[in-house]
Amino acid sequence: MKPESGRIHMTCLVGLVALILGSCTGPRTPDLPVMENGRVEVLRMEGGDWGYPTPFAHYPRGPGGFKMALIFDSLLERDETGLIPWLAESWEISDMGKTYVFTIRKGVIWHDGKPLTPDDVCFSFNYASKHAATWATVFGVIEQVETLGGNRVRVRVNEKGATLLYALGTCRIIPAHVWRGIENPRTYLAPEALIGTGPYRLTDYSQEHGTYRFEAFDRFWGPQPRVRVLEYRPVGEPILAFEKGEIDLTSVPPDLVPRYAGNPEFALVKSPAFWGYRLVFNMEKSPPLKNTRVRQSICLAINRDELVEKIARGAAVPGEAGILPPGHVMYHKPKITYDFDPAQAVRLLQDQGFHVADGQGEITGAPLLDFHLLISTQEVRMAELIKERLGQVGIMVHLISVDGKTRDARVRDGDYQMAIIGHGGWGQDADYLWSRFRENPSLSPSTSGRCGYLNPGLNVLLDKQHVALDPALRAKLVADIQEILAEDLPELALFYTADYTVYRPATYDGWMAMFDHHALSHSKLSYLDRKDGVH
Amino acid sequence: MKKLGRLTEYVITVLIILSINFFLPRMMPGDPFLFLSGDQGEQISAYSDEQIRQYKACYGLDQPIFRSYLSYLADLFRGRLGQSLYFNESVGHIVLRRLPWTVFLVCGAILFSTVLGTALGSLSAFYRNRLLDNVLYGFMMFFSEIPAFLIGLFFLFVFAASLGLFPLSGALTSFSPDRSVVQVLKDIIHHAVLPVAALSLTRLGGMYLLVRNIMISIIPKAYMRTARAKGLSRYRIFIRHGLRNALLPLTTRIFMSLGTLVGGAVLVENVFAYPGLGLMISQAVMVHDYPLIQGIFLVITLLVLSANLMSEVLYRVLDPRVKDGEG
Repeated sequence: MKPESGRIHMTCLVGLVALILGSCTGPRTPDLPVMENGRVEVLRMEGGDWGYPTPFAHYPRGPGGFKMALIFDSLLERDETGLIPWLAESWEISDMGKTYVFTIRKGVIWHDGKPLTPDDVCFSFNYASKHAATWATVFGVIEQVETLGGNRVRVRVNEKGATLLYALGTCRIIPAHVWRGIENPRTYLAPEALIGTGPYRLTDYSQEHGTYRFEAFDRFWGPQPRVRVLEYRPVGEPILAFEKGEIDLTSVPPDLVPRYAGNPEFALVKSPAFWGYRLVFNMEKSPPLKNTRVRQSICLAINRDELVEKIARGAAVPGEAGILPPGHVMYHKPKITYDFDPAQAVRLLQDQGFHVADGQGEITGAPLLDFHLLISTQEVRMAELIKERLGQVGIMVHLISVDGKTRDARVRDGDYQMAIIGHGGWGQDADYLWSRFRENPSLSPSTSGRCGYLNPGLNVLLDKQHVALDPALRAKLVADIQEILAEDLPELALFYTADYTVYRPATYDGWMAMFDHHALSHSKLSYLDRKDGVH
Repeated sequence: MKKLGRLTEYVITVLIILSINFFLPRMMPGDPFLFLSGDQGEQISAYSDEQIRQYKACYGLDQPIFRSYLSYLADLFRGRLGQSLYFNESVGHIVLRRLPWTVFLVCGAILFSTVLGTALGSLSAFYRNRLLDNVLYGFMMFFSEIPAFLIGLFFLFVFAASLGLFPLSGALTSFSPDRSVVQVLKDIIHHAVLPVAALSLTRLGGMYLLVRNIMISIIPKAYMRTARAKGLSRYRIFIRHGLRNALLPLTTRIFMSLGTLVGGAVLVENVFAYPGLGLMISQAVMVHDYPLIQGIFLVITLLVLSANLMSEVLYRVLDPRVKDGEG
């Protein structure tokens, strides 16, 4: 997290570093420890304060939750392809998706040496239902939890849903003997609050310095850690710190990619594009936006490739009309596409009776379409480009630039005509389409901005996929939904950023991204010996 | 009576600032628990309506604003700054852990820029319109116009990354527990050199110009001519007769610059990932953490007011005419 004013300066700073580094010779090679038998003693990464790593006290922004997950296991875990067994060896779904029975792994112990029991699992679900965790996956979801014989736990949920296995499976399991009686878990920062069953234990944390140190738990039940110690330390300029060998992995600004590309000393990984910007329309506030052809014209008039090139400097993927990014497990390429075509945009608008430009950038009359575009200060350049392109087809755009929190509040309250929002989570379960386009607007980043759009046919499909438990049927439904979204364009995905990450394979090479999340350093599987498997 | 009046002024100032501190953050649009968007690449956890209701009840944000204001004042009188909404910790603890680093940075910058600015300003005045003065003047004008974060970046690249003379970031070497007090102190100073230098350099120009101008106006004075005529050494003339008379405006400048230096510290702390209060202010404002904003601004207010008070006291000591005037 960076301050608003600081962000502008930091952008300049990164640009300057790019300039300075770019004008120099190749990266230098400090003497660094290398892996022995695929294992390494210490890995160092960029720090920063992201909160005390308990399920309740880490901060809602940033990677604090992933640090917490090093300590606290869940019943299921995420690898590159989907959910895998973790504290639960197996699970059964019955009652049309309203009942889940998990068989809990035996032989798992807490960091204080006590054994994990099914009662701990029941306690964790009940506790998380009463006190929302920062990653509140099961808050308000569970109806009843009980232990069955044979190390099994049965969970009944309020409503059936295709994503409930994910929600239940990723809820963090906490020790009942520690948390029982804790009424305010957000402020419970005692050392015992860090007792989990995960592969790492926190041995050092400093909030003001932004440092964390994790050591491998030698009695961990699962795949053995390949890294004994994980250190997160404060870093002012990550690229300089990486080149000096102070950290072992960092993200790379697009301008610096050539510096590492093709150099065998470095591995350069392009992450899945699961962070993106979208243009949302408030059809209640601005009636012309209710017209599908107007929205299609806007889509045709905005050059998304240009946004990728000029704003993301090439490190992004153009937005898809069907919303889901190309790297998503349920991505479907819609039949209808919108290549940049201002002439077609003008024709569509003229067909609808709007008196607009002649397709050559010359406006032939007073523009009838006139919108306010709400943005945060970070998106000014992008908005200027959009304004220019829309202006060429006679759609006038007035920019309203405010700070991020103000923009968020105005979008939540429906106080906008068009707005740009940027957030992550585009790789998550496709059910976020249900939240975005079916439910009433709520507060999540994936659900805000739907104002005035209604398509009963789409609602039926969204509801069906929301409860479909058969993956093949669900994939078909989600594909159909993407077709409708591409036709209707209730909002416009502008582009999804694809970060580059660089590391030295000789130092460590176990990095992996989760199937629904882009960052290599966030998965705890990145630090475990996956040859061992999870049995 | 005058002393009592001055004290009343300070008390009223504090009360007004306390009220502004309370109401201003709450007038900002937005909600501390609302997360729709994030920084590029950043993961955010969105809260449900029910979750937000729970948190607001927990932190008393569901109370009418005037009742919250009274609770805030009552808590302050009990010495409680409240609980941070975002950082899940007592505001007092957060501020206490961060404040010493910023004070260290700011005091270091004041000391460094004052000593160097005074020395160079005096030199320039003594060699007015000669080569040394012209070079120094140009140099100072150039550097005083560069923002602190750019100077910081330059230092970072040259002295930390290229030459390896100083650490890249932070205030201490992380994860080095077994060290003596002397080693820790050396480490702290080693880490502070570049941030202090960057912050000092932005203040140096102002200090240099002030001293230069004062000395230029002092040098032609009769008592300076007398001192020279008495055959006193240049050093003695400079210190006892020149600099002594520059102390008053210099003192005012030093104390008055405290507020702006804290502002400069925000950017420098960003560049060097320095764990001070400056960095925390911007984070607190960004996430609308009302109790933390209130706590930090209260501490800074008290620091600035204390500095003003100290400058007044010092003024009386340095210039007996002020006291006489009152009498």
